[in-house]
Amino acid sequence: MTKPSNRLKTSKKTHKAIQVFSKFAIMCVLTLFTIMIVLEKYKTHALESGIIIALIIITMWLGYKYLDVHLNEYTYEEFLVVIWVPIGAVLCYFLNIYGALGGVLSTALTGTVASFLPVLNTKSEYLKKLPPAIYCGSFIGMSSVEIAPSISFVIVAGILSGVFLLVSKSIFLGIGGKLGMVAFGGVLMVSFVYWCYIWLGL
Amino acid sequence: MNTFIIIITGILGATSTFYVNEHLKQGAVRASALLSLCVSLFFYCLPDLLNSYLTQNIPTAFIGASFVGMVSSKAISHYKWLILAGIIFSIIYINKSTFFKGYGGALGTTAFIALLATMAIPVVFSRKKKITNGILIFRKWLFRDKDE
Repeated sequence: MTKPSNRLKTSKKTHKAIQVFSKFAIMCVLTLFTIMIVLEKYKTHALESGIIIALIIITMWLGYKYLDVHLNEYTYEEFLVVIWVPIGAVLCYFLNIYGALGGVLSTALTGTVASFLPVLNTKSEYLKKLPPAIYCGSFIGMSSVEIAPSISFVIVAGILSGVFLLVSKSIFLGIGGKLGMVAFGGVLMVSFVYWCYIWLGL
Repeated sequence: MNTFIIIITGILGATSTFYVNEHLKQGAVRASALLSLCVSLFFYCLPDLLNSYLTQNIPTAFIGASFVGMVSSKAISHYKWLILAGIIFSIIYINKSTFFKGYGGALGTTAFIALLATMAIPVVFSRKKKITNGILIFRKWLFRDKDE
C-alpha cells in the first residue's frame, strides 16, 4: 500500500498527463482539419488560398505556444451535467432528419430552448450549467445522413463527446467554438470506427 | 460578390453575438442560438429572396461566426479583434474542404481555429523579445558543435 503523499503525487501526475494529452489531441485535430484544406487547394492549383491557410496554421501553433488560456488546477465537469450531451444530440437529430428542418435551424431551435432552461428555477446552480452541454450535443445532431446514418451512431458520438467535455473543463477557457470542437472530436472518432467496421469488414 | 457577402456575414455574426452576450447580458448560448434562429428562420420562410448559393450559405456562415462571438470578454476585449476573427473565419469557411462535409461540429472547429489565430497575433507581436531569444537559443543549439 502506498503512502498518502505518494498517492497524491501519482494522481496529480495522472491529471497533468490527461490535460497535456487532451491539449495535444485538440491541436492535432485542428491541424488535420486545416491540412485537408491545404491538400485540396494544392490539387486544384489554388495557390493563394493554400498559402493563406498555411499561414493561419502557423499562427495557430504560435498561439498554442504563447497564449495563456488554461487553468493551472485540474478540474472536471460534473457527470450529471455531461449526461445532457447525448440528449441534446438526439433531440437535434430528430428535428434535423425527421423534422426536415435542416442543420442550422434545428441547432438554433435546440439551443434557444436550452438557453431558457435556467429561467425555470433561477436559484438552481445545476440548471445554469445545462445550456452549454445541450448546445454542444446539438452540434452532433447537425451531421448529415451520409455521416450519421442511424440514431445509435448519434448516441455513441454524444456519449464520447460527453467524455471529452468532462476532461476538457480546464483547458482553452472561454474560447468560442470549444463546444463545436468537442462535438467534432466525438463525431470524427465514431465515424472512423464506423468506417473501419463497414469497409474493412472488422 | 458572393464572397464579399459571406465575409460581411461573418463579421456581423461575430460582433452581434458578442454585443448581445456581453452588453445585453444574455449569456453566450442564448446570444448565439437566438440570433442564428432569427437569421435561419428568415431564410427558411423566404427562400427565393437571394440566389441559391447565398440562401444556403448565409445561415451556415452566420451560426459559425456566432461561435466566434461566444468568446469571453477576458480573452478578447476589443471589437477590432472580433472583426479580424470574423474575416479569418469567412476565409476558412469559403475554402473549406469537402472531406469534412456533413460532419457536425466542423463549423465550431473553424471558429476555434479563427479565434486561436486571432488571439495569437497581439501576443506574438508584443513578445517579440521572447521569440528572438528562442531563435537565439535554437541557433546556439544548432551550431554548438562548431563552436566547441
